[in-house]
Amino acid sequence: MVAVLKKEEMLSLAEKAVKAAQQKGAEDAEAYVYEGQATNIGIERGQITKNSRIIDRGLGIRVAVKRAIGFAYTNTVEKQTAINDIIDKALKAAGASNPDWDWRGLPEKKAYATTENTFDQGILELGSEDLVNVASIMLDSASADKCVFPIEGGCGAAYVANALANSNGLAGFDRGTIIECSLATVAKKKNSVTPVCFEFNANRNYKVDPEWVGKEAARLAVSALDTKQIETKNMKLILTQFALQELLYFTLVNAVKADNVQRNQSPFKGKIGAEVASENVTFYDDGLVRGGLRTSAFDGEGVPHQKTLVVEKGVLRSFLYDHYAAKKDGVESTGNASRAGYLSTPGIEPSNFRLMPGTTSADELMSEVDEGLLVYYLQGAHSSNPVSGEFSVVATPAWKIKKGEIAHCSRGVMLAGNIFEVLKNVSVVANNERQVGQLISPWILVENVRVIGK
Amino acid sequence: MKKSLSIKNPASSFLSKQNNFIFYSDYRYANLPEKDEKLLRDILTRINEAATQKWGAEYAEARAQSLFKTMLTLKEGRVEAAKQGIEKGVALRVLVNGAWGFASVGSLNPEILTNAVSEACKMAKAASPRMNVPIKLAKTRVVEDRVKVVSKKNPEEISIEDKIKTTSAINQNTLSYDKRVKSCTVDYLDLTGKSFFANSEGTFIELDKLYVWSRITASALQNGVFAFSREEIGSTNGYEVFDTETPEKVGERLAKRAIQQLEAKTPKGGNCTVVLGPNVVGVFVHEAFGHLAEADLALSGGILANNLGKKIASDVVTFYDDGTVNGAFGSFKYDDEGVQTQKTLLIKDGVVAGLLHNRETAQKFNAEPTGNARAEDFRVEPIIRMRNTYMAPRDHTFEELIENVRAGYYFKSFRGGQANIDGTFQVGIQEAYEIVNGEVGEPVRGASISGNTLETLFKVDAVGKDFELWPGRCGKGQTAFICDGGPHIRVNEVTVGGSA
Repeated sequence: MVAVLKKEEMLSLAEKAVKAAQQKGAEDAEAYVYEGQATNIGIERGQITKNSRIIDRGLGIRVAVKRAIGFAYTNTVEKQTAINDIIDKALKAAGASNPDWDWRGLPEKKAYATTENTFDQGILELGSEDLVNVASIMLDSASADKCVFPIEGGCGAAYVANALANSNGLAGFDRGTIIECSLATVAKKKNSVTPVCFEFNANRNYKVDPEWVGKEAARLAVSALDTKQIETKNMKLILTQFALQELLYFTLVNAVKADNVQRNQSPFKGKIGAEVASENVTFYDDGLVRGGLRTSAFDGEGVPHQKTLVVEKGVLRSFLYDHYAAKKDGVESTGNASRAGYLSTPGIEPSNFRLMPGTTSADELMSEVDEGLLVYYLQGAHSSNPVSGEFSVVATPAWKIKKGEIAHCSRGVMLAGNIFEVLKNVSVVANNERQVGQLISPWILVENVRVIGK
Repeated sequence: MKKSLSIKNPASSFLSKQNNFIFYSDYRYANLPEKDEKLLRDILTRINEAATQKWGAEYAEARAQSLFKTMLTLKEGRVEAAKQGIEKGVALRVLVNGAWGFASVGSLNPEILTNAVSEACKMAKAASPRMNVPIKLAKTRVVEDRVKVVSKKNPEEISIEDKIKTTSAINQNTLSYDKRVKSCTVDYLDLTGKSFFANSEGTFIELDKLYVWSRITASALQNGVFAFSREEIGSTNGYEVFDTETPEKVGERLAKRAIQQLEAKTPKGGNCTVVLGPNVVGVFVHEAFGHLAEADLALSGGILANNLGKKIASDVVTFYDDGTVNGAFGSFKYDDEGVQTQKTLLIKDGVVAGLLHNRETAQKFNAEPTGNARAEDFRVEPIIRMRNTYMAPRDHTFEELIENVRAGYYFKSFRGGQANIDGTFQVGIQEAYEIVNGEVGEPVRGASISGNTLETLFKVDAVGKDFELWPGRCGKGQTAFICDGGPHIRVNEVTVGGSA
């Protein structure tokens, strides 16, 4: 990777932009500087086919003039003229816009906690050859079985750094690394091909297990080769992290965002203190989890990350706030402002959203199921109703469980219901925690879900 | 939003685009004066020459882009922020020893670009030792062209104030339709700019880019029942799209749909006959067939590789993927490998007639590239994507389609869809009605349809004579602007996912 921008360089870029914006008439100003460097090895159709490097830097500036908000960004950070140009653009955009009477300025400066296990110099120093090596191990271990075809995947290492400054004197810098390897496979036999099966490993330190990823991705695909149809009825489901992440992201996560609550598009409005899930369910949002994939010192507005209790033993305790929504409710931000790099203004998102594990092992969980389905991957979760929580999705594939054992695989099984009902029917939470996207969670057992077979 | 494979890559989404909740691709090239364009052409040409002559590349291409965006988000009339962005960068792609090297840099500086292309060549070499089947490219015409976009209402010439006025009017019309409509979010984006493409074969294309897009969502609430409705607007013509998709029309459509769902019943799960409206037919064609026709997926074991020339659908089924529809959201003249776009026949009267190719897959299939290689921006490499994908109309009226359906559903508008390589498709529905004894009945909410392509396409038994094309976005790691559509159709058996 080419030399990354130094902490002082990034902070000074942000602080200078804030000062310049104030001089040009901004009442509130905030500058966000981003740098991302990533090297990726790509696997396509059973072989390593590509190697890419992306360097992306940029600066986004948000200003308030008479309570109207403007934002502009550029990816040319080396030139002062380019930065001055976007400051003018942000001010012009604010000038064209309407005042927002709920605007209460930008966050104040607060102390940041030290994050653990989020940066590894070893990842920064990895070369293409090292990553090709990781990808090869994964590919080899997946290809042991001749009917397995690795269709897509790869291995990537990245460095991400942010600096943020605002006109309240807030200034923060944070950097992190991540390495990941992933493989999508299908298995083929005669004219039959399985749905796509997938595994991955991701870590903030240089510690991945490509052999396990390859083996698991292959094992799942092979076990999906022989299928039987299942009948339409209500049954128990074991949801793995992949399925749970998809379902929650488009439903529960929306319901706990404070802006959605304030705007009457969350069923949780007025429900703080009410029972919204089974007593087995406790959710935290925790932006400081040791080594969490989304762990960093502060959020997209420079508010310190924290641990927020969202659901405690089924009872709703808090919503997720950015600074704006918090001020509207007269509370403090929970540090959940999130940015899509330098390209956007912040919006509310979870950091690491954690379903607290129970004490039951995955095997014990299986043994509790007399008749049910083990669900890994879902198709169509993004078409759930984000307001009501209704979903109607396909499990591709799903494994039928009989008397605590996998009986057979089944394809094209539809699941329908409401996520808020599902959460009330969580009977057991296992202890096999892992992180997929923003969700850190174990497997869960859910009672009585509508399964539509053929 | 439509999605392709259910492949998730949580780590890389953390790295590049942390959220999928805001806009993706948008570009526009700031105006470069004439002499700078010549200079840029020289730089790109020299870089490609360095790759092939100095660092051993079989092929090299450089794609320089300069883009300008305006974005707005309005929530219940409040402008969250008026946003503008400028992006400049170059994507360099080289083929060395049969493997790809790719580098993206946010700079037009010749020195930085020269270093980056030498790096890309080294990286390709590093990737190549384990190559069993080296990548080769199908031949394509060497092109020299300059594509100017002439827009009646170029978004660059419309003031931010006007854009706020239009989006506020959409907001206002949606919210004031009925008291039960509680919230309305309007996202707006326009993107203008230039893309320069040069490759080592001598092709040089200068292409104007212009996109206008908006997504509107609304929610309604009554007695604890929540409803949600969404709509997208998209054009490559210009801001005049709001003259046809007026704030009044869009607001009413959106609000009405949300209100209807409040009193809707949930559908019964199981197999039944459905009539699909053009909006759902579009996503059905896209998910149930379009993704499988992407030659990269076909080669990965998808079900179409062995079905070329074979009958996989009923006689009334004809599909196209067409990049030439004037002003449509998925139209463009050249793809990001410099190949001219075309109208590609995919299924003719039930028989698979073709696939969607880039130069690499065309070579493998011994076919012509179809102009489907698209890259979201200079940060990423081109991959095979759809353009405007649709079903050709036939001869039925809507009445004829429903008159013999005793019990079924009419699915009018979709919420999202997703495909899988084995042919499993899913389409979530946001506007649906019962069909009872040949007539459209009560509204239904929370439905979706699923099936397997190779079974379901044979079940299309009647095709209407109307036609609509709807804009949207498709996600396959990158986001692409697309359209899809067709006439009303009847499918005599599909699985409906319902909780009742």
